[in-house]
Amino acid sequence: MNPMMRENPADLLPELLTLFGAVLGLLTGMFVPRRRQWIAALVCAAGVLAGLVAAAFAVSGPRVMTFDAFMLDPVTHVTRLTVLGSTLLVLALGFAPMRGHRRETEFHVLTVFTALGTIALGAASDLLVLVAAYLLASIPAYALAGFGKDGKGAESALKYYLMGALLGLFMLTGVTLLYGLGRGTSYETLALGLPSGPAVTVGVILLVAGLLFKAGAVPAHFWVPDVTEGAPPVVATLVTTVPKIGAFAALFRLGAEVMPHSWALTIALIAAATMTLGNLAAFGQDNVRRLLAYSTISQAGYLLVPVAVAGRTDLAEPALLYYVAAYALTNLGAFAVVVAVGRDRIGDYRGLARRSPLLALSLVICLLGLIGTPPTAVFVGKVLMLGAAVEGHYTWLAVVAAVNTVASVFYYLRWIVPAYGRAEHEPPTVSRPAALVAYTATALTLVLGIGSGIALSLN
Amino acid sequence: MSAVAWALPALPLLVGALLLLAGRRADRVAPVLAVLAGVGTLGLAVAAAVGRPDVSFPLFAGLPAGMAVDGLSAVLVVTVASAALAVLVFAAGDMGPDEARARFFGLMLVFAAAMLVTVTAKDLAVLLMAWEVMGAMSYALIGFWWQDGERVDSANVAFLTTRAGDLGLYFAAGCAVAGTHSLSLDALAGAASPWRDLVAAGIVVAALGKSAQLPFSFWLSRAMAGPSPVSALLHSATMVAAGAYLLLRVHPLLEAAGWAGTLVAWAGALTALVMGAVAVAQRDLKQLLAASTCAQIGFMVLAAGVGSVAGGTAQLVAHAAVKCLLFLGAGAFLTALGTKDLAELHGAARRFRLVGVTFGVGALALAGLPPLSLWVTKDVVLASAPVPLQAVGLAGGVLAAAYSVRMIVAVWHPRDALTRDDTEQPGTRHVGLAEKLPMPVLAAVGAGFGVVALPGVLGPWQRLLGASGEDGPTALELALSGGLAVLVAGVVASRRVNLPAFAAARNWFYLGQAADRLVARPVLALAGALARFDDRVLDGAVRAVAAGGRAAATLASRRVEFPVDGLVDGLGRSVRRLAVLARRPQTGQVHTYYAQAAVLLLVLTLVVVLVG
Repeated sequence: MNPMMRENPADLLPELLTLFGAVLGLLTGMFVPRRRQWIAALVCAAGVLAGLVAAAFAVSGPRVMTFDAFMLDPVTHVTRLTVLGSTLLVLALGFAPMRGHRRETEFHVLTVFTALGTIALGAASDLLVLVAAYLLASIPAYALAGFGKDGKGAESALKYYLMGALLGLFMLTGVTLLYGLGRGTSYETLALGLPSGPAVTVGVILLVAGLLFKAGAVPAHFWVPDVTEGAPPVVATLVTTVPKIGAFAALFRLGAEVMPHSWALTIALIAAATMTLGNLAAFGQDNVRRLLAYSTISQAGYLLVPVAVAGRTDLAEPALLYYVAAYALTNLGAFAVVVAVGRDRIGDYRGLARRSPLLALSLVICLLGLIGTPPTAVFVGKVLMLGAAVEGHYTWLAVVAAVNTVASVFYYLRWIVPAYGRAEHEPPTVSRPAALVAYTATALTLVLGIGSGIALSLN
Repeated sequence: MSAVAWALPALPLLVGALLLLAGRRADRVAPVLAVLAGVGTLGLAVAAAVGRPDVSFPLFAGLPAGMAVDGLSAVLVVTVASAALAVLVFAAGDMGPDEARARFFGLMLVFAAAMLVTVTAKDLAVLLMAWEVMGAMSYALIGFWWQDGERVDSANVAFLTTRAGDLGLYFAAGCAVAGTHSLSLDALAGAASPWRDLVAAGIVVAALGKSAQLPFSFWLSRAMAGPSPVSALLHSATMVAAGAYLLLRVHPLLEAAGWAGTLVAWAGALTALVMGAVAVAQRDLKQLLAASTCAQIGFMVLAAGVGSVAGGTAQLVAHAAVKCLLFLGAGAFLTALGTKDLAELHGAARRFRLVGVTFGVGALALAGLPPLSLWVTKDVVLASAPVPLQAVGLAGGVLAAAYSVRMIVAVWHPRDALTRDDTEQPGTRHVGLAEKLPMPVLAAVGAGFGVVALPGVLGPWQRLLGASGEDGPTALELALSGGLAVLVAGVVASRRVNLPAFAAARNWFYLGQAADRLVARPVLALAGALARFDDRVLDGAVRAVAAGGRAAATLASRRVEFPVDGLVDGLGRSVRRLAVLARRPQTGQVHTYYAQAAVLLLVLTLVVVLVG
């Protein structure tokens, strides 16, 4: 089933609109005074919104390869929608904290650039474009990690950058190796020309290493807890949510379209290690941001399961797409609660239910959602994921995922229970705009979970 | 007209219920209300007797129920209402202001209402309800002075005995539904063969129990524990009369069953004889009257057994008036003089002339002396009976003459030095107007009701009861029984012959003790044994199960729980240890990150290359 080939710029309308909004926002930010920088933020958000609308209209289009490197298929559509939707929520989340900041415009523009790079990552069907997208998605994020210009931010930005540099290097090495072995960089060529052998395995693992860095999976996960804790909370929200979407889309595309030898085993091992390590390390955390960071690592493990069985079962694609969208929303909701409360210790959440019952409820729904409790969206994603694993003959992976899910209940509850306890001292004040984002994300996870049938039939 | 059928029992029932609910607050107005209700009920009864209402209503699906007044019921409702009114008027004077009068009159009215429903019921279901209410009211009235334990015991005996008989009625109702697919009293005789006999057996047992016939007679002796007006009503037109009425009502069934008629006739005749002997031997006036009630009811039962409805009904009405009168007289003596011992009542009739005269008339009627009522009605009954039963009946009549004249002699004998008052309770030495008022009326009815047997009256009386064609007594029979009664009365009155007083007869032939030994004690012993079985075996098994469960739980908690608990704890500990290990790689130093990432990727590559 070869896709239609064409070079029509209109196919990239969502990306172009988003880019246009970002550039216009940058220009606006240069020329308006600091107290009116919010105009630039609105311009960026308008661009993202326009891109989101265009992406929504593009969903019904045919399966098309455009400019020889950009695939328009369900994976791309979902990536676009999820990334742009999440970015919009992140922009909303960052709007209030960044008001009046010296580099207010830069935050919004860099966020949108990260999103653009992420979409390219998910849509690329050529290794060179993939590398370019990797850099486009990473570099703005490095800058954002150090956005606070404080010691912790600088440290986390540096760690983020250094990890990205090493794994980017691995990735480039892998691309080089595969180019040599497969006589091309486009997925189509590689699918036909790639031989099987240890050299290809080495090349694939090196290539995957870079994407694992973006996804925050073992063994490239080390940056996740440090950046999540050190960077400003809004940036932590961004880097644990948005780049992952593109990374999983890219991994899935590689697995489904190139289907290198021993792909499934490689990814399955990584998935098992990632979910187990993420869950175990989250157990003793008292810092909610680190807890959420390890939680995102374990979620990355679950998300790798459909990637492992990509091309082996028809269930893999809906499982991945559904899970990734559900994860993005739920994770955003949980981080939005953290931003709204503005405290990092679990003990600081004591008495939250008394102070703001709705926010506590949002936290509960998001955390139960991350566990995979019905009727939240992740529940449906998890069911599909387990189904895909069993259908793809990776039953042991499904068992590992199920055991990990049970174990994860422990640390999520460690956070929920104090929120409903009696406050020893005055509970923290709550930021209204961030709380609104939390409510929105929570409501969306419920809508998506309850309307799962509708959401699945769109594929 | 159907409104009368409802109103007839409803009026006394509602007034009675009202008085019972009001309790002691209504004590002052209770006698007036009760007498007014009694007058109203009598009016309604007469209206019902004339109008013959008939109502049906759904009670159980497919089993229509109803109340109707036919000839027999017409006679009965008027009798019941009249006796009730007489007793209520007497009680209005007899029950002192200290008594719980609201409770007393309430119970009496409900008692009368239940009897009215009993005699108008068209089917076994309605009859049973009224029958049960009547039994319950009799219990409450006999035990009216509940502070006295002995009286409550008597109430228990009376209640349990009649209840035991009542089970027969339930049995009969079940068999009737099975045999005729209805509960209608008229349909009983048409039941298929085995069911007909079973229904007859059930009804006979219930009726004999209620009417205190052999072998159930002893409860009537204990029923004397209640106030005198209760005895007057219970012995005349309600309760004991209900059994006789039921047998008269279902006499077609008894005839159809064959054996049942014979059994009933002999039970009645033997009761008349045996209880006559008991009455002769009594020293207590009320006990004498109780035994005589059994004996006289025996003639009614005999009538039902031989199919003499006209005679039985006439006997019932005449006896109701006479016995009501006698009990009221005995009650008046008891209240005024404080005694009911025949030996202590000497001169009583002379001290209270009106009571003495009417009491004497009643006793003479009871004696069966010509030309008074029971002489005639008894002979009407015996006219339908075969010779052996006639002989037994005549013997019963002779005994009736003997005990009746004993009473007359006792109360009219001049007071002597040995006579003591107040042997049982302090007397008032006074008989009020209300107490006297019903007596002449009852005496007139009791003396004169024999007119129904006159040649010109017997025919209409039989037609009224739908019993045309029954034989009337011949002149020879009348002369024979009258002559015998006069002879015996004369002998007893002359006091030439000392009446034999057997201890067995005085003690009701030990029927109560026999019932106690043969029924009550074995049942109690069986109940005790079953209770022990329940306590030791069933309960023991339950306790053993519980103990076993506890033992098993203890065992499980020692042998299983600790290892399982330990396993869970151990799992938790090892996961915790692993969790600490999992955080170890997160050193915070980039060079260790680099090294770990490189090594892990290398290991991964090796594994995949080697395995894949």
